[in-house]
Amino acid sequence: MKTLLQFLIYMLLAVVAIVMGVILGDYGSWYFAWFVGTAMIVLVAAAGGAWMDAHDGSVDETEPAGH
Amino acid sequence: MELYFGLKVLWWLVLGVLLMGLAIMVGMDMGVGTLLRFVGRDDNERRVCLNAIGPHWDGNQVWFILGGGAIFAAFPLIYATAFSGLYVVMLLLLWTMIVRPLGFEYRSKLPSATWRNAWDWALLVSGAVPMIIYGAAMGNMLQGVPFHFDWDMRSYYTGSFVSLLNPFAVLCGLLSLSLSIYMGGVMLMGRAGGAVAPRARKAAMGAAIAAIVLFTLGGIWVSFLPGFVLEHAPAPGMPQNPLQQQASIVTGGLLANYRSQPLLWAVPALGYAGMLLGLLAVRGKRSTLAWWLGAGAWIGVIGTVGAALFPFLMPSSSEPSQSLTLWNSVSSQTTLLWATGFAAVFVPLVVWYTSWAFWVMRGEVDAAAIQHDEHAY
Amino acid sequence: MIDSTVVELSRWQFAVTALYHYLFVPLTLGLSFFIAAVETVYVTTGKTIYREMAEFWGKLFVVNMALGIATGLTMEFEFGTNWSFYSGFVGDIFGAPLAIEGLMAFFMESTFVGLMIFGWKRLSKVQHLLVTYLVAFGTNLSALWILIANSFMQDPVGAKFNPVTMRMELDSFSSLIFSHDAQAKFVHTSIAGYVTAAIFVTGISAYYMYRNRHMAMARRSFRMAALYGVLATAGVITLGDALGFVGGQAQPSKLAAMEAMWQTEPAPAPFNVIAWPSQEHKRNLFEVQVPYVLTPLLTHTMTQEVPGVDRIEADAARRIANGIPAVAALKVLSRDPTNADALAQFNSHQQDLGYGFLVKRYAPGQDVEKATPADIQKAAGDAVPNVFAMFWSFRVMVGLGLAMLAYFVLAVIFSVRNDVENRKWFLRLAPWMIPIPFIANEFGWLTAEIGRQPWTVYGLLPTWMSASSHSVGYMVFSLIGFVTLYTVFIVIEMTLMVKFIRKGPSSHGHGHPAPPRPSLGGRATAVAMMREEG
Repeated sequence: MKTLLQFLIYMLLAVVAIVMGVILGDYGSWYFAWFVGTAMIVLVAAAGGAWMDAHDGSVDETEPAGH
Repeated sequence: MELYFGLKVLWWLVLGVLLMGLAIMVGMDMGVGTLLRFVGRDDNERRVCLNAIGPHWDGNQVWFILGGGAIFAAFPLIYATAFSGLYVVMLLLLWTMIVRPLGFEYRSKLPSATWRNAWDWALLVSGAVPMIIYGAAMGNMLQGVPFHFDWDMRSYYTGSFVSLLNPFAVLCGLLSLSLSIYMGGVMLMGRAGGAVAPRARKAAMGAAIAAIVLFTLGGIWVSFLPGFVLEHAPAPGMPQNPLQQQASIVTGGLLANYRSQPLLWAVPALGYAGMLLGLLAVRGKRSTLAWWLGAGAWIGVIGTVGAALFPFLMPSSSEPSQSLTLWNSVSSQTTLLWATGFAAVFVPLVVWYTSWAFWVMRGEVDAAAIQHDEHAY
Repeated sequence: MIDSTVVELSRWQFAVTALYHYLFVPLTLGLSFFIAAVETVYVTTGKTIYREMAEFWGKLFVVNMALGIATGLTMEFEFGTNWSFYSGFVGDIFGAPLAIEGLMAFFMESTFVGLMIFGWKRLSKVQHLLVTYLVAFGTNLSALWILIANSFMQDPVGAKFNPVTMRMELDSFSSLIFSHDAQAKFVHTSIAGYVTAAIFVTGISAYYMYRNRHMAMARRSFRMAALYGVLATAGVITLGDALGFVGGQAQPSKLAAMEAMWQTEPAPAPFNVIAWPSQEHKRNLFEVQVPYVLTPLLTHTMTQEVPGVDRIEADAARRIANGIPAVAALKVLSRDPTNADALAQFNSHQQDLGYGFLVKRYAPGQDVEKATPADIQKAAGDAVPNVFAMFWSFRVMVGLGLAMLAYFVLAVIFSVRNDVENRKWFLRLAPWMIPIPFIANEFGWLTAEIGRQPWTVYGLLPTWMSASSHSVGYMVFSLIGFVTLYTVFIVIEMTLMVKFIRKGPSSHGHGHPAPPRPSLGGRATAVAMMREEG
């Protein structure tokens, strides 16, 4: 029951997102591009950080945690 | 036409709510700023005061911005005429308002005592002056302001800067200052603790008494002031501009609405009730109750002004016929409809997340923790 | 009567306060999403270094944002205090986006920024991340609504004049918010903010790396900001082209001035790379041209003609003559709103009403009906903005944009090779890059707003008519006040920024630098992380 409810909520969110994407894509294609582009820029930057840690992290990780 | 009429009245009410919300929320922060040097005797106590409103002053300040924005969007002619007419006063308001965010953000970032002391003075000035101007502006609206329009709706203000600070306006300004000190005091009483709370309580009691006296004096004064009466104008639900009407000045006219609708006396009564019961609640150390009663006092006071002026918003003392009323200074139906739609969606949302933010940051400010938190104000 | 000195002083005041405000806005727009990216890594990997990074950049973010908010208040007031005729004339359209900005965006960013700073201990990791994203979206939504309002001034769509209320009124809200100018300008401006933040972060990180301080934080910040910046710079340039294309359709006078094109030339027209335009002689005293390039650059075709200054002035003269009867009819309608003759005259000429207003400043007694053909010629000469200022502010902006692209490409290459800390010359250069995006942003503003002249609302309302009727004394008073106050502010802000940057993130938490610790290997981190979790 809980899974079903969760599934329905996420499906609903997905449908709303798709409908809004379609409308925005039609009337405001640059707004749509901003949304997608910002998401991409943020994720690529985040991936860049994570990537650095995955490759050569051990040298830096000795840095004190600050607490 | 009925729809447009309804929208006009709705936005008059929204304007009222915004002016009240602004007075309550921003007024409280301003009151804390005004009291800062008096209830906080050392740096530590002052930081407690600032951090009591620390997480919220920024959100509260939006009431002010929203008030300005709503006047621009819903009453563009009021925005244009009042802001340019009251030029010097508006700039003083603006300059003191823009020092405030910096006072909060920058004061405790450096340890120097001179630095912090200077910001404490800045916070005092930027707390007291805007509240006086806020009240004085309302006082001027009650009396009317000397302005007139050209054929193309270019407005000319013909008074001087000094005439805006006439005795009645100053009285209104002091009333507004007292109410803000009351709210600030009550806030600190509840959230500051330590040695600050009893001092804040005293300040709030003094402010409540001052407000009661000033509100009474103002009420008596108003009954002798000239008021404005609309004699002939297009139907309220029609699009119109201020060149198409006739109005005149009648002594005691500010009470005309109260005489024809005696029920309206409930509004000033609410103001009195808020102040008197608030005074008692402060005495009884019931800070939350006192805060809500203070909010009630603000609603009563601003409501009293609105009810006295209706349907005028900014009467002209030099050309009464060109006075700005709710009917002739409002935006078009399309704009009001869109603004209503946005407000209907976003106001509940804002209320919801603002209360969540208050809930997350609830509780008394911990003086010791401030010393160790470098983000603290 | 309108006093030209007052108009000039009002313009200066607006330009000074807007340019000043705009020093702080782009960094807010970009740093908010950058911090969100950093915190995303913190939440997904759980490494506390990213939390320290988020807190450190968050501190600089707040110092900057405080001034952005403070000076933004000025902008909201100034339309009313100094541009009251403008506010009355188009407030029905222009006010709505500003109010919506407050309601939808400003409330959001201001409420959540409090939680972002104070809520670290009171919110769960995911809740805090959500709050940070809400701040980022809030700041950028703010920019969206402000730029929708600005775009109405550039390309007034979705509005019509109502002779009963004597003002422009909103006709179509969706045309207003989906205007091509608004879309392109929002994306261009927002992403220019990302570039600004990326240079800011790489510059400060390089400063640390050069001195071998805070290496863990600096290297990660540099890598993330370099990637963030290279993508954003590419986006800014793409959108700059889109904006030029959209703007060129709506504002041919802006384009002609930007390219210093005095004569209309058959397509494909040559492109002036460098020129020394003279408004007085209506020609370039010196120019270096590349043939055929201008037409495809601006119109994305080889055949569409681009009108030059000569064509635009001739067009303006014709429209001014046609607009004068509209103004005359309006004057009658203001006294007698039902006058059928005046209404008919107004309706047949109203498309040129704004051009009718344009001649007001030259007409005898500021009465457009008395304007002579010579007055009309003078007014038509105003229809093109200052060509020299336009030509060069546009080129400065574009030149700096290309320089930043080159910088970021290098930064990414070095960072990906894990080599940047050995490139001492690059580390020394990077902090000096910090002013570059700020200068480019300011010149972008100048290009957009000088290019709109002589109008506040393009083709509808001349700047000269828009100002409030103040005395010169009032204007001098307010200008002195703003300049004094703003100078004090910038000194304070820069002092704090530099102080915090010098101090760096290591002083975090206790007000004194943490002692250097010996290398302990991976386990220490794990322990530290567990402590953090607990």
